[in-house]
Amino acid sequence: MFRQIFIVSALNFKSLTSRFWQSMVIVVGLAATIGVMLSMLSMSAGMREAVVNAGNPNRAIVVSKGADSEGQSSITRAMAPLITDAPGIARDKDGKPLADRELTMGIPVLRRDGSTGSTTMRGLSDKGPGVRPEIRIVQGRMFQPGRRELIVGVGAQVMFQQMQVGDTVILPDGKWPIVGVFTSGDTLEGQMIGDSETLLTSTHKTNYNTVLVRLASQDTLDAFKKALTTNPALSVTVERHSDWYNRIAGRQTFTLALLGYIVGTVMAIGALFGCLNTMYSAVSTRGREIATLRALGYGAFPVAVSVILEAVLLSVAGALIGALIAWSLYDGKQSLFNNSIFHLSVSPTQFKLGIIWAVVVALLGGLLPSIRAARRPVVEALRAT
Amino acid sequence: MRYLPLIWAAVMRKPTRAILTLLSVTVAFTLFGLMIGLNATFDMVAEKARADRIFTWPRFGGNGVPVAVARQVAAIPGVKAVTAMNFLPGYVQDPKNQVFVLMVDQNVASVFGDYGVSPEQWNMVLKDRTGIVMSRIQAQRWNKKIGDTFTMVSKQIKRADGKTGWDFKVLAIVDDIPQAGNGFIFGNYDYIDKAKPLADQGKVNEVDILADDPASSAAVAERIDRKFANSATPMQTITEKLARSGNDFGGLDIKKITRGVALAGMFMVLFLTGNGIAESVRERFAEFATLKTIGFSDRAVTIMVVLESALPCILGAALGVGIAAVLARQIPKLMPSGFGMPLPTMSPMVLVWAAASAFLVALLSAALPILRLRQMDIASALSGRT
Repeated sequence: MFRQIFIVSALNFKSLTSRFWQSMVIVVGLAATIGVMLSMLSMSAGMREAVVNAGNPNRAIVVSKGADSEGQSSITRAMAPLITDAPGIARDKDGKPLADRELTMGIPVLRRDGSTGSTTMRGLSDKGPGVRPEIRIVQGRMFQPGRRELIVGVGAQVMFQQMQVGDTVILPDGKWPIVGVFTSGDTLEGQMIGDSETLLTSTHKTNYNTVLVRLASQDTLDAFKKALTTNPALSVTVERHSDWYNRIAGRQTFTLALLGYIVGTVMAIGALFGCLNTMYSAVSTRGREIATLRALGYGAFPVAVSVILEAVLLSVAGALIGALIAWSLYDGKQSLFNNSIFHLSVSPTQFKLGIIWAVVVALLGGLLPSIRAARRPVVEALRAT
Repeated sequence: MRYLPLIWAAVMRKPTRAILTLLSVTVAFTLFGLMIGLNATFDMVAEKARADRIFTWPRFGGNGVPVAVARQVAAIPGVKAVTAMNFLPGYVQDPKNQVFVLMVDQNVASVFGDYGVSPEQWNMVLKDRTGIVMSRIQAQRWNKKIGDTFTMVSKQIKRADGKTGWDFKVLAIVDDIPQAGNGFIFGNYDYIDKAKPLADQGKVNEVDILADDPASSAAVAERIDRKFANSATPMQTITEKLARSGNDFGGLDIKKITRGVALAGMFMVLFLTGNGIAESVRERFAEFATLKTIGFSDRAVTIMVVLESALPCILGAALGVGIAAVLARQIPKLMPSGFGMPLPTMSPMVLVWAAASAFLVALLSAALPILRLRQMDIASALSGRT
């Protein structure tokens, strides 16, 4: 039986060249479908990667109870020491807890195209570099605590104007110079960072937004969480930093991902009709050939399987071409969405997704024609001209 | 049109092929309609945006600025009317169902008079603290009619009583306007203001201005920025025209994306229809030879092939754009409410583009078969030797 399937399929593929343009309908249909879908999904996938990279299982974030974003959260000066003195936090070489009171705020910037956008200004204290060791200065120097100066991410430099060392940023109390440029491999690269206390004074604010701590180990989260949630003086939510980002990444990428899947589905339906058309036509062109095989004793099942196999092969080839086009056009390209900067991504996971879609389209598009091929009476097919 | 029976016979020679081709073209044009329709919406928003309306908000975000800022703005030369609003962001039931209510003060009609809300309806909302007026898109999304209660949760806005829920009463439902592609909800400023803790009261998130003269509104915007630049409340000011001029969706160039998708769809059907017509002509090569023998000119044969190729394209385009128009109206119902895209509009330009694309696909599909027919050697074609 498998020998029969193999022989009939081999025969099919040998005759593919004579049906080249017809077969190209399937290949092009799937290439267009998967190319477009993965291009669109490269946005949500890239954004998810950038956000998820920012979350570290060794860190915990403390926000005011129920807050869904850093901006919504507010930690008062009175609460902060209660949090940073809790157990479970890693300590630096001086024995001080590696916990940082962070500040985030929106700040208007000029995009490359001249339009007005906004990015996040983040305030860190002298503990900041210890809690976020991934921040590396690549040009200039780190900002000094207590001074009105900033560092900018490499992403912000690409997307916005006036982001070079020596440029200035207007804050409520005047111009702050940019003294350094950093990389961090996550969403922070699209932001600016300064000293939190100095920023609080400058913007007439009194509260921090969040407290970010480095855990002594991944397992100390529970002890840390328990200490904070049982303290009646605090009303906060504690979450592992990676979990926090996973949760908000889902919400941020929702619209884009949904849009990608909708467009992908509609195009796949179009490609499916094309696939049906091609396979029906292939089955009818090869009617006599199939009938001859059947007359020689080949079963109906191997014939049907060979038709579906052909559809799968052509579809997957198309999907791979489409995925490769999407990958070469967009993978790694820097982009901006809702004030966060990230790199578009067409990853192996998405190649897999494209292939799965192609196989589904091929199975649906090959099934009916394969049944027709298998059920056609041999005598009638042999007589047909 | 005497060729019509011939063309119909040619198309229906293989009904399965004809129907599948039509379905595929229809699907591609549904996508085309939705994508180019989305473009049309962005164009319309940019075109309808008012040059004389100006928005200003706190440059460095935060909890808002004292309501006194609105009075200071009103005193700036060139300003005709001023209204202040607070934002109530939140969700309905699940954080995915995001919603945004604009809480407006008694001057709203003087700046947003073109939003399709009648003076009586504004009055109802301004008199009833928990009253809201919804546009149709929003009413459809939350399944509300006049008299219903609308409840939302906001974690961003702190209430004095510690609650996160906000109850509203739907007092009026009005038509949507192109400037607000996602619909709108207006509520009463006093409701949000008095619900806040005392320290947070008397603040506004945005001040909206109508300028005396559209031509001078950019200058007025600059004047506002300058006035507050060195104050405790620096402001960020922009005219509505400028704010809505880009094809901007959170920083993405939406036009480039939608055009790319529409083009990919067209490319896909081009292969399908091109292949279909080539096959059909190949199968009937001898028939075409006969037609030529009995006196059909090259031109007549060309027209027949073009029409045969155009039939599924034009029909599919019409059906597809029709389906897109129906789908576009249903988007608020079909999509989860966190889906913050404006609705596609089937403007005349969309129809023109669809028709032009359909003809182009038909012509390109028919080109090669026509070339073959023109160069055919009638004698050998008739004897079936090709």
